Amino acid sequence: MSSTVGKVIKCKAAVAWEAGKPLVIEEVEVAPPQKKEVRLKILFTSLCHTDLYFWEAKAQDSVFPRILGHEAAGIVESVGEGVTELAPGDHVLPVFTGECKECAHCKSEESNMCSLLRINTDRGVMINDGKTRFSIKGKPVYHFVGTSTFSEYTVVHVGCVAKINPLAPLDKVCVLSCGISTGLGATLNVAKPTKGSSVAIFGLGAVGLGAAEGARLAGASRVIGVDLNPSRFEEAKKFGVTEFVNPKDHKKPVQEVIAEMTDGGVDRSVECTGNVSAMISAFECVHDGWGVAVLVGVPHKDAEFKTHPMNLLNERTLKGTFFGNYKPRSDLPSVVEMYMNKELEVEKFITHEVPFHEINKAFELMQKGEGLRCVIRM
Amino acid sequence: MSNTAGLVIPCKAAVSWEAGKPLVIQQVEVAPPQAMEVRVKIKYTSLCHTDLYFWEAKGQTPLFPRIFGHEAAGIIESVGEGVSDLQVGDHVLPVFTGECGDCAHCKSQESNMCDLLRINTDRGVMLSDGKSRFSINGNPINHFLGTSTFSEYTVVHSGCLAKVNPLAPLDKICILSCGVSTGLGATLNVAKPKKGSSVAIFGLGAVGLAAAEGARIAGASRIIGIDLSPKRFDEAKKFGVTEFVNPKEHDRPVQQVIAEMTNGGVDRSVECTGNVNVMVSAFECVHDGWGVAVLVGVPNKDAVFMTKPINLLNERTLKGTFFGNYKPRTDLPSVVDMYMNKKLELDKFITHRLSFSEINKAFEYMVKGEGLRCIISMED
Repeated sequence: MSSTVGKVIKCKAAVAWEAGKPLVIEEVEVAPPQKKEVRLKILFTSLCHTDLYFWEAKAQDSVFPRILGHEAAGIVESVGEGVTELAPGDHVLPVFTGECKECAHCKSEESNMCSLLRINTDRGVMINDGKTRFSIKGKPVYHFVGTSTFSEYTVVHVGCVAKINPLAPLDKVCVLSCGISTGLGATLNVAKPTKGSSVAIFGLGAVGLGAAEGARLAGASRVIGVDLNPSRFEEAKKFGVTEFVNPKDHKKPVQEVIAEMTDGGVDRSVECTGNVSAMISAFECVHDGWGVAVLVGVPHKDAEFKTHPMNLLNERTLKGTFFGNYKPRSDLPSVVEMYMNKELEVEKFITHEVPFHEINKAFELMQKGEGLRCVIRM
Repeated sequence: MSNTAGLVIPCKAAVSWEAGKPLVIQQVEVAPPQAMEVRVKIKYTSLCHTDLYFWEAKGQTPLFPRIFGHEAAGIIESVGEGVSDLQVGDHVLPVFTGECGDCAHCKSQESNMCDLLRINTDRGVMLSDGKSRFSINGNPINHFLGTSTFSEYTVVHSGCLAKVNPLAPLDKICILSCGVSTGLGATLNVAKPKKGSSVAIFGLGAVGLAAAEGARIAGASRIIGIDLSPKRFDEAKKFGVTEFVNPKEHDRPVQQVIAEMTNGGVDRSVECTGNVNVMVSAFECVHDGWGVAVLVGVPNKDAVFMTKPINLLNERTLKGTFFGNYKPRTDLPSVVDMYMNKKLELDKFITHRLSFSEINKAFEYMVKGEGLRCIISMED
């Protein structure tokens, strides 16, 4: 690998030329990393709903041509000037949000919303020089959330790279760089259910099941899964979900159904759909006096969260989380360790695998609502 | 005192016969305490806005005649059957909400909203038999919040009494049985600001100033007081408030003003007005990543709290509190101790003193917005 240091690398990437159209595997040129940047060889990547959302580009503008992808695992090929914490050969997870370690957020014990490197879905270039590191015949191809992992090689800011245990199988831990950690952290870091407590999880996709897995690890005695799609219930049992509620099966609001099942409300709830009515239900279904609701799913721009203030004065707590409140560099390695220690189970999230040239199949599966995570082998 | 045990006590009470009309001091008969009840000789009581609100009875079904009052301090005159942890002569604070000790809320480390004894503004009778202990010529007078402290003697459920240090001056600590503890606890128990942090307090009445006092005790470095009435600013300095914002003086929403003053937002905010728009401002003015907003003030029935979900996804926390999250029996005695240890200052909350016969003046002061707490002495 050292022979490519400082040079442009020609490699394959799956390029999105137009919203909603199949990606095209093209030869791209990947420039060397600049100051505080790192060039990674991506070994495995997976599709996450956020990639789909910006590929479809229905509700907002997205720049094209673009290289999507933000859930991945790889190896450092070379580092740019000023990078001391990573070296060629390191096993890493690139992350769509970063940790500069210098701003007030990074210095806070609580926040993971780095002022410099927090998620930016509009930006298609690197911060250092405002340009892209990808090109096809000299024409720029844009980045996506600073990761662009649908490429054999990519360039990311060093603050967005988590260095992990080199023994961890990259084809498994790649899914930890977004969705599953988001759900897991929402439960373990934010909702923090105590052993024996009851937890309601709204939305049983990968993020919701990551949250359920967190409730299982925390020793919750009841994990109530709420979803409109009953075909998700069977799968969810593997993730510790003990009971199911389909709002469509009931006339009354689902928060009332849950309150009746739980003597007044659950101890914790985690909302993983992004639907604002579900958010309100998730809040109103927690028990007064001590209940905590955590919002995870991202809604559309015009959504409004509404509740009667009494629901707050009755000592319910409402929180929201971003990336499970994990600081990418400081915390993700320990999530990988949770897997290596056999506490956290990851294999059950991976339902499909395709080679890189069949990457569009992953999009098709997700559009059909099939499976949880499809790992793409580079 | 024990010679009245088991007997009806005739005494003076300030009876409210009609909404908004002055109270009438007259003789009432106070029946002895039944099972799990306690009869208390009230020494000092103070007026709290909740008394005024239900006396005016504008928004809800009125229940008259009624004896108001729920902020007070007194001494136990006699106890009913089954009361073992309190005895004659104990110094107590009666509280408008209780702690049975048995329900899930009481057993929870966090909640103070007892299933059996939590605040009930509709009820005008005692739980054990559904009747009142007060009467005039045989006609019942309604209780208020299970306390009815505008009376020389009252009967309360034993779960609603906090036994306090007998050395604590009752004419000071009476104000701890509601408003001041509510604000203090909102900050110390719920917002929990760290030393050196910034706190915004919305509403600088007694509850808000108590919240500010909590921030002062916690070592906050900046306490920003927000109120529409600039004449409250001077007084608020005594409670640790370091800066003031009057929303009327700004074109843009007050949360933006506060965010600009604090590099993105305060670490903690405490909302003590009950105005729902202010609640939204109090939430949106805390810093993303770590900010916590605590709602205290009670709004009207139709209020709707509304915010954009992104404000929550950006890692702001929104909480609400009731009575500062203090469990009345378990926690109030330690609040009294905070005062005895000179950590908590109470004298500055007391701006007026009256004798029982002048109780209507206390209502006048409050209606005019004058002062913070007016102590009513039951013995002239």
